[in-house]
Amino acid sequence: MRELTLLVAACLVLLGVMPAGAQDRIARKEIVVGLAAEPRTMLAVTIVDWTTNTQLEHIYDRLLDRDAKTLKPKPMLATGWKVVNDTTWEFTLRPGVKFHNGEPFTAQSVKATMEYLQDPAHKSHYAAYWKAVKEVQVVNDYTVRFVTDKPWPALIDRVSLTDFLVLPAKALKDLGPEKLAQRPIGTGPFRFVEWKRDERLVMERNPDYWAGPAEISRVTFRFIPEFSARLAALLSGEIDIMKDVPPHVVEAVDRSGRAKVRTAVSSRINYLALVTLKPGPMQDLRVRRAMSHAVDVDELIAKVLQGRAAKICGPLSPANVDYAPVDCSRYDPARAQALFKEAGVDPTKLQLTLDTPSGRYPLDKDVSLAIAAQLQRLGIKVNVVVNEWGTHLDKIKNRTTGDMFFLGWGPAIFGQTVMEPLFKADQTYASYGNNKLVDDKIARAITIVDARGRAAAYAELQKLIHDEAPWVFLWQQHDLYGIANHVEWSPRADEKVWMYDAKILAR
Amino acid sequence: MTRRAIGVGLTLAVIVAALAAPWLAPHDPARADFAHGLRPPGTPGHPLGTDQLGRDLLARVLYGARLALFIGICTVAATAVVGGLLGLVTGFVERWPSAVIMRLADVQLSFPFILLAMTINVIVGLGLRNIILSLSAAGWVVYARVVRGEVLSVKQRDFVHAAAALGAGRARLLFRHVLPNVAPTIIVVASLQFSQFIVAEAAISFLGFGVQPPTPAWGSMLAESRDFLYVAWWLAAFPGAALALTALGVNLLGDSLRDSFDPKLRV
Amino acid sequence: MRVYLLARLAQTLLVVFLSFTAVFGLVRLTGDPVLLFMPTDIQAKDVDEFRQRLGLNDPLALQYLRFLGSALRGDFGESLRYKRPAMGLVLDRLPATLLLAATAVVLTLVLAVPLGIISAVRRDTFVDHAGTLATVLGQAVPGFWLGLMLIYVFSVQLRWLPTGGTGGVSNLVMPSIVLAVFFAARITRLTRSTMLDALGEEFVLTARAKGLGAGRVIGKHALRNAAIPVLTLAGLEVGQLLGGAVITETIFAWPGLGRLTVQALLNRDFPVVLAAVFVTSVIYTLINLIVDLAYGWLDPRVRVA
Repeated sequence: MRELTLLVAACLVLLGVMPAGAQDRIARKEIVVGLAAEPRTMLAVTIVDWTTNTQLEHIYDRLLDRDAKTLKPKPMLATGWKVVNDTTWEFTLRPGVKFHNGEPFTAQSVKATMEYLQDPAHKSHYAAYWKAVKEVQVVNDYTVRFVTDKPWPALIDRVSLTDFLVLPAKALKDLGPEKLAQRPIGTGPFRFVEWKRDERLVMERNPDYWAGPAEISRVTFRFIPEFSARLAALLSGEIDIMKDVPPHVVEAVDRSGRAKVRTAVSSRINYLALVTLKPGPMQDLRVRRAMSHAVDVDELIAKVLQGRAAKICGPLSPANVDYAPVDCSRYDPARAQALFKEAGVDPTKLQLTLDTPSGRYPLDKDVSLAIAAQLQRLGIKVNVVVNEWGTHLDKIKNRTTGDMFFLGWGPAIFGQTVMEPLFKADQTYASYGNNKLVDDKIARAITIVDARGRAAAYAELQKLIHDEAPWVFLWQQHDLYGIANHVEWSPRADEKVWMYDAKILAR
Repeated sequence: MTRRAIGVGLTLAVIVAALAAPWLAPHDPARADFAHGLRPPGTPGHPLGTDQLGRDLLARVLYGARLALFIGICTVAATAVVGGLLGLVTGFVERWPSAVIMRLADVQLSFPFILLAMTINVIVGLGLRNIILSLSAAGWVVYARVVRGEVLSVKQRDFVHAAAALGAGRARLLFRHVLPNVAPTIIVVASLQFSQFIVAEAAISFLGFGVQPPTPAWGSMLAESRDFLYVAWWLAAFPGAALALTALGVNLLGDSLRDSFDPKLRV
Repeated sequence: MRVYLLARLAQTLLVVFLSFTAVFGLVRLTGDPVLLFMPTDIQAKDVDEFRQRLGLNDPLALQYLRFLGSALRGDFGESLRYKRPAMGLVLDRLPATLLLAATAVVLTLVLAVPLGIISAVRRDTFVDHAGTLATVLGQAVPGFWLGLMLIYVFSVQLRWLPTGGTGGVSNLVMPSIVLAVFFAARITRLTRSTMLDALGEEFVLTARAKGLGAGRVIGKHALRNAAIPVLTLAGLEVGQLLGGAVITETIFAWPGLGRLTVQALLNRDFPVVLAAVFVTSVIYTLINLIVDLAYGWLDPRVRVA
């Protein structure tokens, strides 16, 4: 009996020390976002990592932002831009912006940021992205020029992503990167409060933000690696937003009465690479074209992904600014058979290997198995090899995958980031290459500054690649976000999860 | 004893399920039927329901019994043979090679089991054969230690001294006198390790390294069911129950074996 | 005694050194670490440059010696993923895991050992059978499954406990239970069986014949002898407890060492893996040393001097 009383007392005590519930957060206009991993650093432009940058973007600002709908560049810390000549871009900067420590934002900040990331001593990943920039010229306090060594029309695309978050020049010099990494200082809508490693990152509203203070007073990022625990946290009201709700669970979330699922069509694409960089049946164009007709992408989307994907027909998706429409390869088993026959291949005797990761992309493993089942209808035997993620990348790099592999790529906002790394034989993750025509056209397309010319070049390139059938083109992912009912926030196609846009709905 | 009865009963049930799977299963466990994904138990044609690709769950659970037995027996055999031999030798021969081997065992023991198995799988890849490899590589140490302890104590017994005095050679001593007395321990530990290994398979599947579909293993089915916990409870319930009951059965069997080998406990 | 301690210490160092070397080899065998911490759309030659700068293109033996050299000075290098000192990351996370493990051990001692003793003393009664069922189930149910079930019931449905993270006592409840279950099950069964052994021993029968009370017999005589195998197992298992924490920490978002090690392994962040393994093996061998010394205290026949 005593034990029972003790137990009840203990429970009451435990209940008393429960963390702040959803109701408190609503009253105080606080938001908790559940993420699978923590940021890798608090210093901007050092490490390329979606999770890291998503969180850093609350503390730092980009030079240019992207419009949420059109995904075209729009003013942020820079209010205007123009092309001075083939190798020089000029940006007009926004006056009156201050860093969190009071330091003013000027052209010096931009120059210092570029110098920081280009300095080999800092080992920043971004050095490779900004290699083409020879120098940053300070014209005056609010005008800055980027001088490149070759024409680089995609500079405007790079500068409007998280590839250039602006650091404070004076603080960087006075404190040094290490100290700055512990107490980050930016111009963003939120100020750093604390980072409890592997647990949570907390930031509070910056009342002096140049675009007006955020409605949310406090943002907490909580790191919950196990997906079902994250979902449980959403359903129990511990977190307000989570990303990557799997398609099957959407209904359950919507029915729960605590949260709903909102979709954004992502710029991230998934595809089935048909490997031509090593000897095998995929080196024959007709076999590749046959494969494009043998896989029923619509069925995969409808049945495996529950309709939550947007089919693509070429290497670039509509979310990509360089997109041009191409014809779709329809599901046509008869045509596939004919093409196999033409190539002298008997599908019933064909044995292929498909490498896939597991859990990296939505239902990647299941999609691969489903593709194998579809190919089985033609008699093709497919051995699906599931790889741990690191091993998968290793295999692709070493060209030791099977005849096909499943991969995703993104965010794929502009053409260069898709074309260059994936269709040239000397690139790490390419599955197709050694086509001189394609190499030349890519090299040309990335240097055309004139918008019309660029569009035409990319359109031609997409058609060319579509006809070469290096992949079975699959789809753009749907990013499914679980959002608590009391939060109003719309997800974006470029995967920017930004709490500045979030509002708390009054009960 | 009822304990033994339950243990034997459950173990037999699993063996029967494993052997009779092709006849008992209504469908091919690997056959994907996209149109009928995530159907609940009781759907016509699918008494236990289907998984996300439309594969029949009853078939997968039944064939999973085969995998469970296969994994369990293989890992137990491998670890018992390797660990047992090493234990016998290091217990019997007390010179420096034994010390070295035991230190190596210590080194391995200081490394968490799951982590070691995972590392091995990262290197050699995933799949059924590699799971057995990594679980065995991580699990032999227990045998070595336990058997060594037993050998050390049996070695002191009178009948061994007597046989030695009568001129029996070392090998003969080891295999004809010591081994039979250590054998019961090996058997008991084997039966207890069996259930541990099939549960470990579930743990390693949880970390992403298990047997991959379409091969039906209860552990990896359980791990996969996480994603569907809120919409398809049956994907976790039935493989989980099968796993738990099998482990329960084999454990009880092992318990009763140990009881019967131990004269002091005979009532 | 001193000689014994020194010998054991030397052995400990040997074990730690060997595990360090073995893990270095193993982890470097897992493949190219650079691929995983660089973005995918960087040019191949830039990635190569990075690799070169990190010294990863040098022969493996050279890398090993270099690493060993700096490790002896306490410097385990910089985490490839986080750009922070690897040992610093590990030591940051260690207290959380220790807290979890310690709570699990305490729970086990408080619940499992008494249960084992009672099961032995009241053999074949309801308590015994119920205890057996509980312990066997405890070993048969995978930890992650139990954890997810608990979260579903207590966090989502009942809202009594948080789903994870640290913060208060309520955060510690579910993770330590899940971690303790497997461990406790084994300890209970072992305690039961060694107690049964001890209770059947002649000296116990003698003590009873002498007229000593049951409590005294159990507490002073039987328990002491039963303790040794239990202690052995406990010592062995603690290392595994630190490993089992891997799954518990992942599910309950507990910021511990196990989780860090798994993630580091998956990310091929070998400085962190090495630092973590080093710390774990030091702790493990220290605990075993303590256990061995405790033998001497419990059983005079085994005094280790």
